[in-house]
Amino acid sequence: MDELLALRESFRSEVSAVNSLADLQNLKNRYSGKKGLLTSRLKSLSSVPADQKPKFGKDLNELKEYIEGEIKGRESALREDDYRQRLLAEKIDITLPGRPAFFGRTHPINQVLSEIKAIFVSMGFGLEEGPEIELDYYNFEALNIPKDHPARDMQDTFYVSDDVVLRTHTSPVQVRVMEKRRPPLRIIVPGKVYRCDSDVTHTPMFHQVEGLMVDTDISFADLKGLLELFIHNLFGSNTPVRFRPSYFPFTEPSAEVDIGCIFCSGSGCRICKTTGWLEILGSGMVNPRVFEMAGYGPDEYSGFAFGMGVERITMLKYGIDDLRLFFENDLRFLRQF
Amino acid sequence: MRVSLQWIKDFVDVKASPVEIADRLTMAGLEIEGIERVDGDMVIEVEGMGHSGHTGNDMVFEVNVTPNRPDCLSILGIAREVAAAFQLPLKMPAADPGEGLTPSGISVEIADTDLCSRYAGRQISGVTVSESPKWMRDRLEKCGIRPINNIVDVTNYVLLELGHPLHAFDADKLAERKIRVARAGRDAAIMTLDGVERKPDENSLLIWDGSGPVAIAGVMGGEGSAVTATTRNIFLESAYFEPTSVRRTSKQLGLRSESSYRFERGTDIEFLETALNRASLLMKETGGGTIHHLVDVYLNRYQPVTVEVSYERVNRLLGTAIPGQDILGILGRLGIGTEDKGETFLVTPPAYLRDIRHTVDVVEEVARIYGFGNIPSRVPKTALSDGSTNPRETAISSVRESVRKSGFTEAVNYSFMNTADLDMLSIPADDERRKYISVKNPLRQEDGAMRTTLAPALIRNFMHNISRGVRDIRFFELSKVFIDEGGRLPSERLRLGGLFYRDRSPSIWRQDLPSFYFVKGALEALLDELRLKESSYVMSEETFLHPGKAADVLIRGARAGYVGELGPAIIEKLDLKISKPEVVVFELDLDMVLGMVSRAKTYSQIPRYPSVERDMAIILDDDITADDVLRYFSGYTSDLIESIELFDYYKGKNMPEGKKSLAFRVVYRAGDRTLTDEESFLPKHVPMLSKRAISLTSTCLCFIASEVAINDILGPSTLTTVLPVFPSRSSRTPAAPALYPKFTSKADDPPERTRCPGVTSLTSGMMYIPGTCIPVFFMNSTTSGSVLSLFSSCCLTYFPAPASFLWPKASTPADSSYSISPPASLSPSATMIIYVPAFTSERITRAK
Repeated sequence: MDELLALRESFRSEVSAVNSLADLQNLKNRYSGKKGLLTSRLKSLSSVPADQKPKFGKDLNELKEYIEGEIKGRESALREDDYRQRLLAEKIDITLPGRPAFFGRTHPINQVLSEIKAIFVSMGFGLEEGPEIELDYYNFEALNIPKDHPARDMQDTFYVSDDVVLRTHTSPVQVRVMEKRRPPLRIIVPGKVYRCDSDVTHTPMFHQVEGLMVDTDISFADLKGLLELFIHNLFGSNTPVRFRPSYFPFTEPSAEVDIGCIFCSGSGCRICKTTGWLEILGSGMVNPRVFEMAGYGPDEYSGFAFGMGVERITMLKYGIDDLRLFFENDLRFLRQF
Repeated sequence: MRVSLQWIKDFVDVKASPVEIADRLTMAGLEIEGIERVDGDMVIEVEGMGHSGHTGNDMVFEVNVTPNRPDCLSILGIAREVAAAFQLPLKMPAADPGEGLTPSGISVEIADTDLCSRYAGRQISGVTVSESPKWMRDRLEKCGIRPINNIVDVTNYVLLELGHPLHAFDADKLAERKIRVARAGRDAAIMTLDGVERKPDENSLLIWDGSGPVAIAGVMGGEGSAVTATTRNIFLESAYFEPTSVRRTSKQLGLRSESSYRFERGTDIEFLETALNRASLLMKETGGGTIHHLVDVYLNRYQPVTVEVSYERVNRLLGTAIPGQDILGILGRLGIGTEDKGETFLVTPPAYLRDIRHTVDVVEEVARIYGFGNIPSRVPKTALSDGSTNPRETAISSVRESVRKSGFTEAVNYSFMNTADLDMLSIPADDERRKYISVKNPLRQEDGAMRTTLAPALIRNFMHNISRGVRDIRFFELSKVFIDEGGRLPSERLRLGGLFYRDRSPSIWRQDLPSFYFVKGALEALLDELRLKESSYVMSEETFLHPGKAADVLIRGARAGYVGELGPAIIEKLDLKISKPEVVVFELDLDMVLGMVSRAKTYSQIPRYPSVERDMAIILDDDITADDVLRYFSGYTSDLIESIELFDYYKGKNMPEGKKSLAFRVVYRAGDRTLTDEESFLPKHVPMLSKRAISLTSTCLCFIASEVAINDILGPSTLTTVLPVFPSRSSRTPAAPALYPKFTSKADDPPERTRCPGVTSLTSGMMYIPGTCIPVFFMNSTTSGSVLSLFSSCCLTYFPAPASFLWPKASTPADSSYSISPPASLSPSATMIIYVPAFTSERITRAK
């Protein structure tokens, strides 16, 4: 009896001292192994007086269950411990920076250009392109700007030869497309254009987006509706828009499109030259002379065209105050967008 | 153009505030770009249009007159617009010199009537040339014209007021008192008022007197006939010159004047007499004298044009429903005659609106006065049309995104190029990039040509940034270049260019590979994104690149561009103050690349059976490229080999001088079954592969267990080239068998082999090694003993002549003193197959 109690006590103290799985295994062997203490007690059952046998057997069994239970419990605690230790050892400094990896940036002009393209594509416009070095015919004559016409002064032209120029606008593509296709036409033409001019507000190269819509019954009201839709998409639906008569040889009537100054909300500031308005688009109904030259019957179709400077829109959208930054390609500038 | 509000009020009694007037004019098509408050000739303040209120002595409007509105290049013209906008009457100044005047005594003849339709004039005799009255001087100065004397000032005053240019000759200096309007013809020369000797071309229209040219018609008068302080008699000219002729002459001479500006836009042929009379009266008023009778040669009379327009057409084009009466009312206010014809109406524009000839011209006038703001907005109704998707555009976007995601930031440069840059890059004389297009009138000589390559601008961008302390510089640009191929227009080609520069200062996670590979990786990612698989890289001959670090990019065998490090000579010219900077540039012909992109995406089933991978490392001479090896391998095809990929490159410690190690992974797979080890067993294929590799170089000696083995155990080996081979990952060992019929029984095996460490048994003449079985191929006749002593720890079988090979007995790997000579009978081309104990992956890792 006492012997079993003593065994139980000694096990209890021993098992609580065990600190490793290996020690635990030894302990287990010593108690419940083939030659273990419990086994030897079991073998001594025969020497126990008959009347005490049932109780001894029962106690022994209890002790055995107790020991096995303790060992199991201890084992899982040690394993848990071990696992935790191992994870701890694998710890890294998660505050170190990640491996340097970064994306580049798209040029702000092309970011705005994509935005413009996406808006028009969503309205069913197709994208077209044309040559940057262009025949005088397409750049001027087919757009109702004959040689020796004062309208040529509106654009300072880079000449390659007498009849070849760096295109001064994306409008020549209108004619090139009309020569190839019949209405209905809905296209935009993004691209680089060139003017022989360089100062604070002019660069010799800049980007334009030209638009053209031609069908059998397109009116000035359609021009207004579409461009308002576009502007509200690009600058927000509360942006005031106004159309103001202007002149382009290839459209008639022609309109400049102004938006309410986004910096002063129309109250007048340096950027809008205190007018409260910012000019962002030129537009107009396609001049029938242009239709004629492109081979369309002038009374058969009507349509409108528009053009915008991407640099200007980009400057307005991002609050950029110096046009020349676009072409300096300073990464400290480009990475801001 | 600057106009005084006070002056406008001479013509129209407008009460509205300057700001309101400016606003109405702007919305009617005369954009007022600024308002200045002036007192006398002093500008007091620049007034904003958004502000209102200040009343000064006078206000000056800066008006932007578009080229289609020559009728507005005057106070009268603006006043007419104000009158129309505010529905006010227009007052005209006195312009009647009276009746019964004496003749002018100057004869006028128009020789070239195609360039001059009307020439009128009056003589004013007995004038006193003096200073103009203050009111006149003030008005001129407010409008930006410097007063000179009363005669000149009057001509300018009337030009500003009525928009018609006049010219005052000193009548006494006109030889033979005669005016002849004729072309310059050959060799004409004239000293103009500005004191410059001009040589107008043959077709320029000049005004001649009896002895020579006295003025360039419509552009500038001659000095010889100019009014001076002593002038007494004036001949005042008021004429109509052909706009294009004036424009051509003015352009040819590079001489612009207020007169030419108006003539070339078109003046009012009917009104010129009024201007002449007004000026005559003002001269008399300011200088005294007598006005003489009009001389007027008017050959091609102005014929008013009548345009018939339908009301419906006007409203259809505008999207409006303006009543017919309102349309006619608007036109009437502009001084345009109209006549209602029921469905249509007739329009008869005045001479100053002679550009109104078509329906749309009428529509424009109606629209601008009706007010663009009053026209409704509607969303267009139109048929659906295709074309909103553009595959090229989509592809370009994906190129931009791909390169951007590789860390490159987009640059946009001018399309101009300095041709000296081509010399800087040593571009050869016959290179395509020398076929550039020149601009006739560049802003700067350095921008005199159109780009044929993106590289110079990208290098400039690099220099800009490095000099400002930016350390990581990665640019790309998507732009056209222009190659003159002799056609009317050059060939325009879309290029993708880029530049990469990485700062070498310490970074926490070092990546020390040559910059070239960063860029090549980006290009490979790009081509992968475009699903272009068949690309390769060959050494490039670009003159500006480092000859050893530059590649031409080939796609399906065609050269699409280059990538490489800028050569030392260029770097030196850039004077960077950085030691050994690696600046990598690339350029791709995107038109060509995009032309090869297929939109079709095809599906193939994901493999259902597992692959077996076998790895093989090869130590090669430096000058054998990875591509050489892959190309040789690719000549060996097996249905079971799915891919052979390079996955490791090593050079440096433990590698012999001039050598590098390349590790390839051979992936075996069958579409219809799991491969047996036998099928994918590398030895079966390696002899084929190795023979090809071996044929690359005569110094190729053997394949050995692993690069680790050769590096760690042998140290700098006496082998010139070693090709190690080791299978990976497979925990199973090959059941070797029938591949090598020679070794079908244990009896053929050298018994010593069983003593090799790690070797537990032999099966059919093949090694059976726990873990992995590593085949080693070995060939040569001059192999040194130390290598063979390594092999002595291994089981060895050889091929094709096993009997002739001498096998070192009872030696161990540690016994490096053991040395043998290879069998003399072993042919130099013989291949031995050697199995060595497995280097498990763990062991390899540890050894590394």
